[in-house]
Amino acid sequence: MSSGISNTIRELRSGRSMTQQELADLIFVTRQTVNAIEGDKYSPSLEVAFRIAHVFDVPLEQVFQYQPQRKRGK
Amino acid sequence: MSRLSFQEKMLWARFAGVMVVAGFYLRYLMYSAPGNHYLHAVLIVMLFLFASVRTFARWRSRNVIEDERDRAVAAIGTRWSNNILWAGLLVILVLYWDHGSVRSASFLISILFHLLLLAALARIIREIVAYRMSA
Repeated sequence: MSSGISNTIRELRSGRSMTQQELADLIFVTRQTVNAIEGDKYSPSLEVAFRIAHVFDVPLEQVFQYQPQRKRGK
Repeated sequence: MSRLSFQEKMLWARFAGVMVVAGFYLRYLMYSAPGNHYLHAVLIVMLFLFASVRTFARWRSRNVIEDERDRAVAAIGTRWSNNILWAGLLVILVLYWDHGSVRSASFLISILFHLLLLAALARIIREIVAYRMSA
């Protein structure tokens, strides 16, 4: 099930010609975790989310967007 | 660049190790003559070797990053393992509740061994699945 959280990390990263490994090293996670976050398959902790925003020097909401899920049956 | 992280590679290695031990033991159960217990000693040696390899791997991985996703996956695996262990212990208690005495110490040890093996396998498989689902 989708968490409703999407992100623009891939776009931000490619705009700065940064590899997944380079970003991973800067935010102290593995390259596989960066790949999972980019693919919306893993929601990072608030701490990692802020680190990512800090690396790209943009506000958090520019990196992550939240689309509330509609409840079933309503 | 490898698709698998160090932790995932270690999981596959552990899976292979547990399967070797399990296969070895099942083969022993099928083909050994009654009262032939020398393989228990071999099994203990294999488990010791397995633990040594894990210790070596941990030492080798001291510079490898273990991030929050690895910890989350490990927590999922641990939860599954704990659930199986608790369920198994409850089954053992229920089995012996009415029947009273424990048939033999070796029988109980055998059940516990299989329970531990099952819990270890479930944990490893669940962690591999969790890694693949979030890869």
